[in-house]
Amino acid sequence: MSQAISKKSHTPAFKEQDLQTQELREKGVLFCVGIVIPLLILIVWEVTTRQGWIDELFLPSLSGIVTEFLAIARKGYAGTPLITHVLGSLRRVFIAFSIGTVVGLSLGLLMGYYKYVRAAFYVVTELLRPIPPLAFITLFILWFGIGEVSKVLIILYAGALIVMLNTIAGVRSCPQNKILAARTLGANDLAIFLYVIFPAALPSIFTGMRVALSVDFGILVASELLAGDIGVGYIIQDASVFFNVEALFVGILMIGFFGVLSDFILGFISRRLVHWQG
Amino acid sequence: MTQLPSISPSSSSLHNRPSSHQAQDEVICLEQVAFGYSRKRLVLQDFGLRIQRGEFLTLLGPSGCGKSTILNLIAGFYKPLSGRVTHGGEVVKGPSARRGVVFQGNALFDWMTVEQNIGFGFRFKAISKYERQQRVKTIIELVGLRGSERKYPYQLSGGMRQRVAVARSMVVQPEILLMDEPFAAVDVQTREGLQEELLKLHEQVAGAILFVTHSIEEAVFLSDRVVILDRDLGGIYHEIAIQLPAPRYAAMNRVSEAFNHYRTELYLKMKAIS
Repeated sequence: MSQAISKKSHTPAFKEQDLQTQELREKGVLFCVGIVIPLLILIVWEVTTRQGWIDELFLPSLSGIVTEFLAIARKGYAGTPLITHVLGSLRRVFIAFSIGTVVGLSLGLLMGYYKYVRAAFYVVTELLRPIPPLAFITLFILWFGIGEVSKVLIILYAGALIVMLNTIAGVRSCPQNKILAARTLGANDLAIFLYVIFPAALPSIFTGMRVALSVDFGILVASELLAGDIGVGYIIQDASVFFNVEALFVGILMIGFFGVLSDFILGFISRRLVHWQG
Repeated sequence: MTQLPSISPSSSSLHNRPSSHQAQDEVICLEQVAFGYSRKRLVLQDFGLRIQRGEFLTLLGPSGCGKSTILNLIAGFYKPLSGRVTHGGEVVKGPSARRGVVFQGNALFDWMTVEQNIGFGFRFKAISKYERQQRVKTIIELVGLRGSERKYPYQLSGGMRQRVAVARSMVVQPEILLMDEPFAAVDVQTREGLQEELLKLHEQVAGAILFVTHSIEEAVFLSDRVVILDRDLGGIYHEIAIQLPAPRYAAMNRVSEAFNHYRTELYLKMKAIS
């Protein structure tokens, strides 16, 4: 009798998995798929190129790219140390992105907040918006010379425009209720701007900054392809001229690496600062 | 003594006290107010309403009768096309910290903690940090938010968020608090709790409250006076004073004979205009 009761209080043996277990399992499988497939691609890449099934002039082997990278890291490229190329590129992006963000943010806040400023610049922005920034690159070289200034300016312009448009959208998306609530609590225009409108626009601003940063890397490479003798874009351009496909891939992969890294850092900061956005 | 113009037969018949006394006791006075989004389509015409110091007044009426419009006019969000809205004798020219507003939802600052939200109004008042903290602490206790001071609005339930919104407006002690269907978006149990807390707060903080709702039960339970607005152009269709035993927040009031009596009266009047 007592045995029967104690048996009853035991957890019955379930045949099926509960939802939480199922979910965990699915996540595990998805994670494995996400890791295994890229690894497979890399293996196929290495095997096909090493076997000579694909001409190494078009696609060099992975190991060849790594060897080339180590060689460039040791000896430099075109007589310039690798670190100088990398820092040269990063410096351009960093300067252009920083100034571009400040400029785009300021203009965006003004245009979002003051409808007269917005009306004044509406036509100009709508005209500039659809034009790819690269269309201006030779014009910028004509205006500012072939050196550092035109490169930084074209990157700056591309990023600033994106940050500005997102800032305007962010400011304008601030719910009217929140603004009115602040006003009925005694806030003046400046306080409403600082404590309500700006924080409400922050998520949009960060989205804009992240898009701008990735676009900036693209414009950076394009501007370095055109002119100069320093930078990752220069490595890519020079390597292709001499059919050094391995060095070409080193350049491409480095741009990818720094693009991902900087986006990761910005994403981290963004999640910390605008934690209330899901 | 000049008699203030009688603006609505039903409202003047209820307040037959001497006008000088009445003027002193008034917080808000609307006189011959007309309002519409365009001059051709008016929402309110020749509308009059007086709100007494400290009273709990509820506006009840069918959708589109102008309840929210009246609230927005008093808050100073809208300007009347003609007539005037006065607060303590001064014409209302725009929003002011003397008139608090609780919105239906989504008006909290998502980037501030519960504490920072509630203390927001004190940033613009000359008040010592100590007193500010004390008052925020007191009201947090009163609305049952203790333990959530450092949380952000997205970490709270809908009912908790409205508690923060009410506390934020109440803590700066406005002379009148305007509430536009503040509890419409929460479930029934939560709403009843919120109503009881609101009455407790109203006892502690002396200001008047103007409440807008669709719910007859809510109107009876909360109010000292209920005004039913007419369907057309926001005339006052009917007005009753509610007298329920103290403490008003007692849940038993919801099932009392008197409660039912008021509810039936309001129900029949509402039925008559719909």
